[in-house]
Amino acid sequence: MRDLVEVLYREIPSGVGSKGKLRLSKEDEKRIIRKGALWAVENGMGEKEDLDHTESGGVLEGADPAVISDKAYERGAAQQGTLGSGNHFLEIQYVEEIYDEAAASRLGIFPEQVTIMIHTGSRGFGHQVCTDYLEVMERAVRKYGIKLPDRELACAPFNSPEAQDYMAAMKAAANYAWANRQCITHWCREAIMKTLGLSPGDLGLSLIYDVAHNIAKVEEHMVEGRIKSLVVHRKGATRAFPPGHRELPDDYRPVGQPVLIPGDMGRASYLLLGTERAMEETFGSTCHGAGRVLSRHQAIRQAKGRAIWREMEDAGIIVRSAGKKTLAEEMSEAYKDISNVVEVVHNAGISRKVARMRPMGVVKG
Amino acid sequence: MIEGTKRIDSNRVEVPLGFVDGMRVPGIIYIDSVLERYLEGASVRQVANVATLPGIVRASLAMPDVHTGYGFSIGGVAAFDLQEGIISPGGVGYDIN
Repeated sequence: MRDLVEVLYREIPSGVGSKGKLRLSKEDEKRIIRKGALWAVENGMGEKEDLDHTESGGVLEGADPAVISDKAYERGAAQQGTLGSGNHFLEIQYVEEIYDEAAASRLGIFPEQVTIMIHTGSRGFGHQVCTDYLEVMERAVRKYGIKLPDRELACAPFNSPEAQDYMAAMKAAANYAWANRQCITHWCREAIMKTLGLSPGDLGLSLIYDVAHNIAKVEEHMVEGRIKSLVVHRKGATRAFPPGHRELPDDYRPVGQPVLIPGDMGRASYLLLGTERAMEETFGSTCHGAGRVLSRHQAIRQAKGRAIWREMEDAGIIVRSAGKKTLAEEMSEAYKDISNVVEVVHNAGISRKVARMRPMGVVKG
Repeated sequence: MIEGTKRIDSNRVEVPLGFVDGMRVPGIIYIDSVLERYLEGASVRQVANVATLPGIVRASLAMPDVHTGYGFSIGGVAAFDLQEGIISPGGVGYDIN
């Protein structure tokens, strides 16, 4: 495990502002923006099957390279295929408990199976898109005379040019994120094959699902007995579509959409499924993770004088991180217990438990 | 319990109309009594603030992992009508996708 964590740490660039193995020209970035995860697959990083098991096939139509600032391109040029820092991670886990055997087997999950979970997004590229468009929206609020209780809610009427430009830029960032995870998935497979001396056929590391949790999408939902198109904002919330939904791949359609819920690095993560109830009550959405209880600052203060990596090792989890500060910020006590969070969404019926995974090896930025 | 909120059932709390001025729909937070201990007043206010936005449909929602974010709470879900509604970068956040 120690070797594996070390190899993954070496092969997947991580840390604040980490730079990847890819050096992209602006033209490359434009291709990524248009093609998302497909760009990675076309460049030999991954399989077509990976795209079938990715939300929206890993690409949103309508991403427009022309609405992206030079600064976003600059920040994105070296960060494709990088993990980043903060709560982003790569974990080697094992399936500790199964709650629904039939559903788990449909998803290819079995007891004590080893799994890899990747949590990262659009890196500095998406961050810059958000920064740029918050400015645009502040102007739009004045232009359209929108009354807001908090200026941080800056927005524009959906049909306005400002809103449409943001949508096209946000889609570009979403596609950048899908390409990013696809590259990392590929390098994980390579690193593990190399370390364990396995052939691609023996590896058996197929993608269960790749899902977004910070995104706005136009979707159809039932409102007062009528199907309507709505723009659904999910910020730290995961899509959780029910069995039979047409956006699901054929093999998952009987059970519903897989939902990945990462917990903190010391406890557990969950695999859930979307439900009809989510569709009725929450626009097909559920939770996304544990949620902090300590601010980053408070966590660093509480971790003073402690060796978090050693505490984790004593608990049987090997951790490797680019920065000591990240480990303090990300220690278990900084988060709510993920099991409590999952219990609520399960009991409320807006998703259902399939499996719980326990971390064995953690790479943090 | 945050003053002014109302428990609907063991897994949901309502942020009623009027919690802040101009709410068009109620807020609903999916949370049980265990996690409600961690619920911040600022997050509840953000759920209510989102409910004032034009074209919001049904309710301003939050998941049990809710915490305070930029404008919109993290763990928030909000859907808007395409004709009357808006789109907001704060409703997606900085870490897009």
